[in-house]
Amino acid sequence: MDLINSIFELLFGSDPELRQIIAVTLRMSLFSTLFSSLLGIPAGVLLGANDFRGKRVLSRLVNTLLGLPPVVAGLIVLLLLSRSGPLGSFRLLYTVEAMVIAQVLLITPFITAMTANLVGVNAKAINETLTGVGIRGAKRLKYFLLDYRVPFISIILAGFGRSIAEVGAVQMVGGNVQFKTRVMTTAIMMQTNMGRFEFAIALGMILLLISFLVNSVVNRIQKAASDD
Amino acid sequence: MIELKNVLVKAKDRLILDVPGLRFERGKRYGIIGENGSGKTTLLRVLMGTVRTTQGSIEGLILDHKVGYVPQSPYAFSFSVLRNVSMTLEDEPLRESLALNALEKVGLGSLLHSRGSTLSGGEKQRLGLARVLAVPKEVLLLDEPTSATDIRGTDIVEGLLQEWFENSRGLLIFTTHAPAQALRMADEIIFLEDGRVIETGSPQDLFNHPQEAETKAFLSHWVI
Repeated sequence: MDLINSIFELLFGSDPELRQIIAVTLRMSLFSTLFSSLLGIPAGVLLGANDFRGKRVLSRLVNTLLGLPPVVAGLIVLLLLSRSGPLGSFRLLYTVEAMVIAQVLLITPFITAMTANLVGVNAKAINETLTGVGIRGAKRLKYFLLDYRVPFISIILAGFGRSIAEVGAVQMVGGNVQFKTRVMTTAIMMQTNMGRFEFAIALGMILLLISFLVNSVVNRIQKAASDD
Repeated sequence: MIELKNVLVKAKDRLILDVPGLRFERGKRYGIIGENGSGKTTLLRVLMGTVRTTQGSIEGLILDHKVGYVPQSPYAFSFSVLRNVSMTLEDEPLRESLALNALEKVGLGSLLHSRGSTLSGGEKQRLGLARVLAVPKEVLLLDEPTSATDIRGTDIVEGLLQEWFENSRGLLIFTTHAPAQALRMADEIIFLEDGRVIETGSPQDLFNHPQEAETKAFLSHWVI
């Protein structure tokens, strides 16, 4: 009962911080998923649908990056964005933008690999069919994107799930700054470290609720796309 | 005229196709026969440029919108049957009506709004044919165009190809495992074995008086 009270108090109470945390979490997750999808899906289609020299090496590289630990991704972005780093002049460290960059580094290989595996199954048949009607080269990308539009939504959703649940990289480059870069996961970790388990669990429940709502919206989009 | 000169296709040192010389003339229909793995599909793919030759050249074939190729298992996109055809007619202003007309001709007029991926194998073959016949073609390359169709579907496909040939006097090259179809549809038969052209000739000559031992052995399994 205390837990439910905590959730309601957090959501509808006078404390503005939670609403701020939810807003930052959504902003970060939506943008990192958007950029990862814009990069990862075309890259995955190109990788999965074509035979070219070096394809195996590239596939292995993408699969290796799937196992990139979030703290390592965070460390790379931290070094790039730190004052003495090559991108230090942009002063992005400890901003939501830095968190998005770190997450794009983490999620893009995941979306690329999932897309490549998906389109690889029918790539030969699709390529041959399109060649037969005179559609060649880069023009084919459009047909792959259209044909797989429904499963792509699932991949994007899985990418969003990774993004919203990630903590290591965003903690490193975001710094968990109150009212600025604090997101649900870093807030949960902080509350746990402070021994405020009930508060942490309440935050976790809210995180799940957000995921559920996003899933529901995306499922509707998926249904509309599959009915097209 | 299309001519293959010294065409060799190898995969990891395995010979797939070895054609020192082969000509296809416009205004004729060629039926390619042979066992599974004899190189029939590879020959069509070489002509379409989807299989690279290890050596040799193909002369006289410009792969533009006037050349149509239907693989044995054409892919049906996850859209409606109508859109499956119209979406491939990129530059055609009347794409919807062209697609509709082509689908009516192949007998899929009642399935216009069904999802392409739900079609049977035979229906997908007819869908593939509708895609290439929606706009005029001069060359048609068909890989076992009726391998999955029922008798009615086979009749429709063969009738359409006959009509196309009479109107266009183009070049038709198809592979088949059906002796009666080869007899009905081909002006010339090309028999392949292990990637090599063993014998060519009119269906009547080749089926009644095969010259090569390999051809005789192969045709002994055919009931013509």
